[in-house]
Amino acid sequence: MSMNQPLTGCVMKGPKSITPDFAPIAVSFLYQSEALGIQTSANENCAGDEALCFEFETPRTAPVTCEITRWEDPSRQGTVSENIMQAACGLMSVHGRTHRQPKPLGLNYVSTLTAALALQGSIAASIGRLRGLPVSSSTVSMAAAGLLSMSQYIAGATASESPETTKTAETTRPLPGSFPACPPFVSLDGVIFELETLDAGPWQKFWGELGVNSAAAGKGWRAFLLRYARAAAPLPDDLSLAISKLTYYRISRICAKTGMAICPVRSIDDRAQDDDARQIWQQGPWSFSPSSSEPKPNDEYLRPDSALPGGDLPLSGFTVIESCRRIQGPLAGHLLALLGATVIRIEPPGGDPLRGMPPMAEGCSARFQALNSLKTVREIDIKSATGKAEIRELARHADVFLHNWAPGKAVLLNLDHGDLAAINPSLVYAYAGGWATDCAEHVSSNSMPGTDFMAQAYSGVAGKVAGAGSSRGGSLFTVLDVLGGVVAAQGITIALLNRCMNNASAKVTSSLMSAATLLCAEDFRNIYSLPASGSKPSASIINEVYVTRQGRIAVECPDMDTVLRLAEVLDITAGIENKGFQRCLSEVFLSKTADQWVELFQHAGIPSAVVIEDLADLQTLTHLQPGLTPGSYTQVNSPWRFK
Amino acid sequence: MPITISIPTILRPLTGNQKRIEVEGSSVLDAIERMEQQYPGVKEKLVTGGQAHRFVNIYVNDNDIRFSEGLSTRLTDGDLLTILPAVAGG
Repeated sequence: MSMNQPLTGCVMKGPKSITPDFAPIAVSFLYQSEALGIQTSANENCAGDEALCFEFETPRTAPVTCEITRWEDPSRQGTVSENIMQAACGLMSVHGRTHRQPKPLGLNYVSTLTAALALQGSIAASIGRLRGLPVSSSTVSMAAAGLLSMSQYIAGATASESPETTKTAETTRPLPGSFPACPPFVSLDGVIFELETLDAGPWQKFWGELGVNSAAAGKGWRAFLLRYARAAAPLPDDLSLAISKLTYYRISRICAKTGMAICPVRSIDDRAQDDDARQIWQQGPWSFSPSSSEPKPNDEYLRPDSALPGGDLPLSGFTVIESCRRIQGPLAGHLLALLGATVIRIEPPGGDPLRGMPPMAEGCSARFQALNSLKTVREIDIKSATGKAEIRELARHADVFLHNWAPGKAVLLNLDHGDLAAINPSLVYAYAGGWATDCAEHVSSNSMPGTDFMAQAYSGVAGKVAGAGSSRGGSLFTVLDVLGGVVAAQGITIALLNRCMNNASAKVTSSLMSAATLLCAEDFRNIYSLPASGSKPSASIINEVYVTRQGRIAVECPDMDTVLRLAEVLDITAGIENKGFQRCLSEVFLSKTADQWVELFQHAGIPSAVVIEDLADLQTLTHLQPGLTPGSYTQVNSPWRFK
Repeated sequence: MPITISIPTILRPLTGNQKRIEVEGSSVLDAIERMEQQYPGVKEKLVTGGQAHRFVNIYVNDNDIRFSEGLSTRLTDGDLLTILPAVAGG
């Protein structure tokens, strides 16, 4: 068994034929399964249109059912699609904030998230079985995955104290056909690129070199910092104007001089040519390296009577130590907590400063709580000898240690994999980084901050989003932080199953870059001319957002039959090949509200959804309510249901 | 000259849960030091090594003091000083 295929010997059985709306999920699900060494095969028992079902079997457990549904509310029927779900969960509106109008992301994002969560759910269920839990199935819905991706934004929009709304995102409406003054930037010679710094100093020096006055640079800095939270960064025009007068080469030189990081928006083709790209694609978004120490006998954590104190979730009784900041790492810890693990979060003395980031709910940042409310907090100065000793003591009794420190910091702190494995040979040691995977140490990107927008630019994700026409490059929605967090939690769950089955512990590395590779896995497969894992999803005939009498509606017609039903409901006689068809559609949609159209389309079997423009509206929708818990801010519930 | 300081939730335990307080001060540092006299413990949350703490942003009427004269930024009657935690990275 290869360590990078830790689930060799396991089997995933799935349906022979898959409905078109589930196809992107199935393709990603099978890609991830095969990368882990899981043998995939067809099974007649897995057929059905209402849900996409797989059966996951390990050498030591009976099969568990892995069910993927469309909505949390099983009574809501009808086909959906990637874009319909992006519209229904608010993702389109968050991505479109820079344009003040909802836009599809141009990526199979909710589908990839759904596939990753579904696979993780079935692996977690198998861990539960190994530990004596009577669990036979896990269910994940596309809607739950979509809501999870929005959890921080929903928290911000529903916080009890000064909630954010799209209208308060300080965005400016760009002229038709133009892009707003916000990242990414464009040089005189037309290169589109991202800038990044986590400190005000380089930002101030950089704009000073470009002749921008300090006040304008300061206003830009505030917007630039808040883009992670607000998915918008309206910069003063002075900044865009100054940068548009210089070539990319000249800007790069100024960056080098001032300490600002710069990265051009690359294409997937560019990324595919990098030395490490193909290997990352082949191994999947996780890198597993074995611990050299002999773990304790696995019976110790398989005993049902001692393994599941105080909980009936698959990871109940497991302890995770998390030393992470911002989004990716904390989300990974949050997901493990939702699976039942006890998560102890290490924060600096005085607490994580992000606890005070508005908007607030009962004295703490709503955004922060969305990712951290289930954790126990220990304030530790990790640089002090006492603090390091405290962390070692925590790790001695833990099952997982997860961090997202800057590259090289773990070695400096003597808290690297080897250090902690020597204390606790059974420990799963996890690193959720920006760039670093075991095979990417020499990539030039390592010198840049491994943040979401830089990773989007470098990985080709930003280029793909731009290619879909929804931005100049990338999204200010934290595309990779969220997917990276899911991938990190998934990798840890895989390592825990491997530990339970094979008594082998490991270091798991995942990164924003590896998450980007997962997100664009089919593009890489095409570039490398490799055979597909499942049936290739075909492009829809109509896949648009329309303005209605009240609100916007997303409509998708995957085939000609659906187009004909749409034309019938709308009473349009012009053929689709007619140039006037699209114009006719746009005009007819103005005659009713988005809600009215969706109701009509549901009866006709036409995939559609009202485009959610205010995230606070999500909690009022019956079909999404099972996925949300109102309170001082609206929490997104666990995406998994176990039976 | 009185200026208003908007207190973030995280510091309100130190200011008797007041959201806004008024102090005299000719510069940002001066205002912080006068606030410290009334509400001990506030200064160490905001200032380190003679500069604003890295994890804190201080604005005078929406202008980040780092892009002005830092803690020496002059204040005038009626100014609003806002303190917010810094947010960076993903």
